[in-house]
Amino acid sequence: MLGLYTYCTWLACSVLEAGVVVCALKRGAFRRYLPLNLWMILELLSGVSRFYVLHSFGFESREYAYFYYYSEALTTIGLYFALSSLYAHVLEELKVESYVRMAAVLLLAGTAIFSYLIVRQSAHLMSTRFVVEMSQNLYFVGLVLTYVLWGAILKLRETRTRLIQFVLSLGVLFSLFAANYAMRNLYPDLRWLWGSLPQLFDCFLPLAWCYTFLRIPEEARITPARLAVAPR
Amino acid sequence: MSRKLTVVLFTMLVLVGAMSLKTVVVTHGDGSVIMANGGGGPVPPTPWSNGGGGPVPPTPWSNGGGGPVPPTPWK
Repeated sequence: MLGLYTYCTWLACSVLEAGVVVCALKRGAFRRYLPLNLWMILELLSGVSRFYVLHSFGFESREYAYFYYYSEALTTIGLYFALSSLYAHVLEELKVESYVRMAAVLLLAGTAIFSYLIVRQSAHLMSTRFVVEMSQNLYFVGLVLTYVLWGAILKLRETRTRLIQFVLSLGVLFSLFAANYAMRNLYPDLRWLWGSLPQLFDCFLPLAWCYTFLRIPEEARITPARLAVAPR
Repeated sequence: MSRKLTVVLFTMLVLVGAMSLKTVVVTHGDGSVIMANGGGGPVPPTPWSNGGGGPVPPTPWSNGGGGPVPPTPWK
């Protein structure tokens, strides 16, 4: 069931995730973008430990399924905090860090409560279904938050190219997963294709962030508002 | 105070927006899970979807025993 493609994309994804951290360290941006780097480390650890569990128990095993979904929940929470840190960067001139933190905690608590309300009917599945439901709900919260952040970047005329690149890469990643899900439902006959694409999408974000750290200096500036407004 | 209320309003709006979007997507979906798939690795089936791998037993109300279905008492 697991072919060369799965292992190659998995390895490429892990190497690229490690590459993001190395590039950030090399460019002296590790501490400035600490939550993003910590999230990348978490993703890397999650990938490596999944590989270990998969080879110890097998793909069809309950151990792998439980480990996968629990680690997925953890990495999604990490992604959520990385996204919150991007909000803090974009809004840092407004001096609203404490409000961003408050909103992040409120939103996480709200998502957890919402997930609990969905799964509380099936109490016997609470330990498994809750983490999957929460990961799924956090994915949608992250999707909406990324688009709102892009709106804020345009509205506040944010010019830091690195920051814009980080946010746009996240937006593209969320959109790719959403588009893949939509295509899977529109063309269920091509399930093999839609099932294998997310592993490729996984490589996109660390690749884009590696490029950002390596090629775009902290001082680089761009005017995104000009990209959004079509000239007449 | 008004800033705090703005934060709460923003949070509620994002939560309502995200959950509405999720409800719309999942309602029209095939029941599979949509998530960020971080960390790589193949996605296993969800543990509650026939995780044991055995055949799904018939529901008790769908002629499970195989015998003829008796007429309903009120007919």
